[in-house]
Amino acid sequence: MSAPAELLLETRDGSVVAQLGGEVDMSNASYVRDQLLASMSNEAIALVLDISGCRYLDSAGIEVLFDVSRRLARRRQELRIVMPPSSPLRRVIELTEVHTAAPVYESLEGALSE
Amino acid sequence: MLRRKADRVGGQLRVRASQQAALASLGQHALGGMELDELLDATVAAAARELDAGQVVVLERTRDGAGMLARAGAGLPEGVLGGVLPADAAELARDLGSRSVIAARIGAAGRDFGVIQAHSGAEGHFGDDDSHFLQALANVLGAAVERSTVDDLMRDSEAQFRELANTTPALMWMTDAEGDVTFVNEGWLRFTDGRPGGEGGGPFASSAHPDDRETLLASWTETLRRQDDFRHEYRLRHAASDGYRWVLELGTPRFAGGEFVGYVGTATDIHERRAMEEALRESEASFRELANTAPAMIWTTDDHGLITFVNQGWLEFTGTNLHEEMGVAWELGVHPDDAALTRSTWQEARAKLAEWELEYRLHHHSGEYRWISDRGVPRYAGGRYVGYVGTAVDVHERKTIEGRLLEVYEREHAVAETLQRSLLPERLPPVEGVELAARYLPGARGSAIGGDWYDVLERPDGRVALVVGDVVGHGLRAAASMGQLRNAFRAYGMVEASPAEVVARINRLVMHGVEQVMATVLYLVLDRETGEVAFSAAGHPPPLLIAPDGARFLDGGRSVPIGAADPAVFREATALLPPGSTLLLYTDGLVERRDAPLEGRLEQLAAAAAAADTELDGLCEHLLGSMLGDGDPGDDVAILAVRPLPVAERQVSLTLPAEPGSLAVLRRRLARFLHATGADELQRYEITLTISEAAGNAIEHAYGPGDETFEVEVSFDEGVLTARVRDSGSWRDQRGEHRGRGLRIIEDLMDEVTVERHGDGTHVTMRRRLGRERAA
Repeated sequence: MSAPAELLLETRDGSVVAQLGGEVDMSNASYVRDQLLASMSNEAIALVLDISGCRYLDSAGIEVLFDVSRRLARRRQELRIVMPPSSPLRRVIELTEVHTAAPVYESLEGALSE
Repeated sequence: MLRRKADRVGGQLRVRASQQAALASLGQHALGGMELDELLDATVAAAARELDAGQVVVLERTRDGAGMLARAGAGLPEGVLGGVLPADAAELARDLGSRSVIAARIGAAGRDFGVIQAHSGAEGHFGDDDSHFLQALANVLGAAVERSTVDDLMRDSEAQFRELANTTPALMWMTDAEGDVTFVNEGWLRFTDGRPGGEGGGPFASSAHPDDRETLLASWTETLRRQDDFRHEYRLRHAASDGYRWVLELGTPRFAGGEFVGYVGTATDIHERRAMEEALRESEASFRELANTAPAMIWTTDDHGLITFVNQGWLEFTGTNLHEEMGVAWELGVHPDDAALTRSTWQEARAKLAEWELEYRLHHHSGEYRWISDRGVPRYAGGRYVGYVGTAVDVHERKTIEGRLLEVYEREHAVAETLQRSLLPERLPPVEGVELAARYLPGARGSAIGGDWYDVLERPDGRVALVVGDVVGHGLRAAASMGQLRNAFRAYGMVEASPAEVVARINRLVMHGVEQVMATVLYLVLDRETGEVAFSAAGHPPPLLIAPDGARFLDGGRSVPIGAADPAVFREATALLPPGSTLLLYTDGLVERRDAPLEGRLEQLAAAAAAADTELDGLCEHLLGSMLGDGDPGDDVAILAVRPLPVAERQVSLTLPAEPGSLAVLRRRLARFLHATGADELQRYEITLTISEAAGNAIEHAYGPGDETFEVEVSFDEGVLTARVRDSGSWRDQRGEHRGRGLRIIEDLMDEVTVERHGDGTHVTMRRRLGRERAA
């Protein structure tokens, strides 16, 4: 059994908005990473990854955030993360210093207005 | 080996998306009425493609159950397809040289069609998701098999009716519920040499004599409105004589499972009789002469009711002579079962000197009894009553057809009931971690077989899906639609996590299907560890939560019924079941009653539930008893009660295979345990995360994916949670950035972490105080 994760993709204001739902762990992390990278066209400015709907994210999932950020940077594209203040993931995101790899916004609008 | 495994895990979600698309397409074909054989081929092809299987085969259980017929297949050696194989699947696997096999049963409880198998030459080729996918395919096939069986039966009934109708010389017709003609037999077409109906309203208006049309139409409209038996004499166009002949039109309302669906009727040529009656009134003198040349059966009596004369037509029918019919002797020819009624009808009429008419069986010269329609009118000579004169016609064909038609309809009813029963097992399959009870009560006798159903399904993510539904309508169609919907829920419930999405997908299927089906459905997914439920109520009454402190209905998640609109918005709502609570799903037959407002009935249900037994079967009985009383319910009723079992111990102890898939299993078990400790959402998340990180480490440095396992023990004592993760590998402190982060998470989120390296592996022990916020 692999963890159930869901990705909803749309393009908004020249950026790709990806809503990540469900759970990400080592059973599906690399797949989520591949899908995120594949969703980025050359024209897109940024990948806005909204993890508001994510119920579970472990270190394998955190690793995806770092990895995607690194790969996008090489293509001169940016990863932005959306996480509401109330998210149970907040502490882990802070603890692992995800902000050093990608800016973290409290709302989707905030991330898109950059 | 390790590499392939990793690839498989990585690719699993992708596979899932593609499998979902394949499943959706097949589901659409199945509901769209694709022929079973074609669908089997498509399914086999999809399974081979999506599972990357060497061979796929659908085996149908033979009637005697002794063997399996290879009904469809892909990649099979020549000669296998169409052959009967031994029921033992292992033998086939040997023949195919396959090294891994997965199989899924096709068909619902009580109806075992067979099995679909996927084979591969590679070991360990199939994963859990593959099995789930194959089962979802099998469920689609199950729906199609049910449908095709019902279709065959329907076709049989219909074909049987047409065949019957067309072999009889009688004139027959059928209408739908609106009174429009849907069928006339060849006899009718021969007689009128034209088409019935048209001209709005009555089915016969266009062929009726212009002088008779108005009264015919009025009589028909009134009869249709009251759904009464129809009876009318009028002149019908007669092609052979290029004129009109008197016919007696008789129609019987048809009911399929309690619902009015139209009329079936016959027209009998009574022209001779009418002509005779008119002639009789005009000329008493020429009576005998007339009577003996008429093709009808004619008789007269004296003023005591004793037969004084029967004509040639009567004698030809009975094969007797005049003497044998005189006086009361004729009664000897009446069928014993009809004798009493014939005599009493006749006597009562005579006492009042009234006209009478009766259909009864009379002994025919061929040796059998044939149905005749007999009618008598009093005769007067110079104002004085002198006896009766009567005419009779042979109506045997029509009566026989009626009887056999009735049989056809009764059979349909029986089939619907059987189908319904077979789809609703008396006992639900046991589901770990929850207690279940269900009841189904058919509607009042003579009314209807409904389309109510309930079902329980274990989802691949460990949650339990529950569904209660009610297909609009009654009878065979409703029961068949119920079977299809039930299987559609089984298929989509496997692959779709969101209740609203499951309902939306099924709505799309139904809306694009050939047949219009409408149903109200409550679909609910329960996390048995946390007590979290998510549900979608499509036109269906809300679930009832029976908590230790009282009963209340769960709000939200409401939308239109399935099959009502496309596109439609389907909502979902969530709720948390307090420990020890029970959830009740039911169909509207439990609460809806014509003489009481729904609001009051719902309150009554909540009150009855709050006062009920805590044992689930007792609860069901109590609710049925207090809501329905002792009588039969008007509509059918289905109820389903579910209760997550309490977490008994203050400890979790698990041994799991050292593979990534175990993490999700671990999280589910932890969720249930942590929920019981009273930890808040953040604490639950963080503890689950740290234990999973330690487990992830154990999985990563297990020697191989083979037989390696790891153990997790979690206990909660005096406000302190202690977790131990043990593996048989060696702990690696710094293996890449990612693992470093995992370790950091563990150390930061736990109050205390110790790592012990033993000869046989590594033990990680972690502690955290719960209940109040930790010191920073």
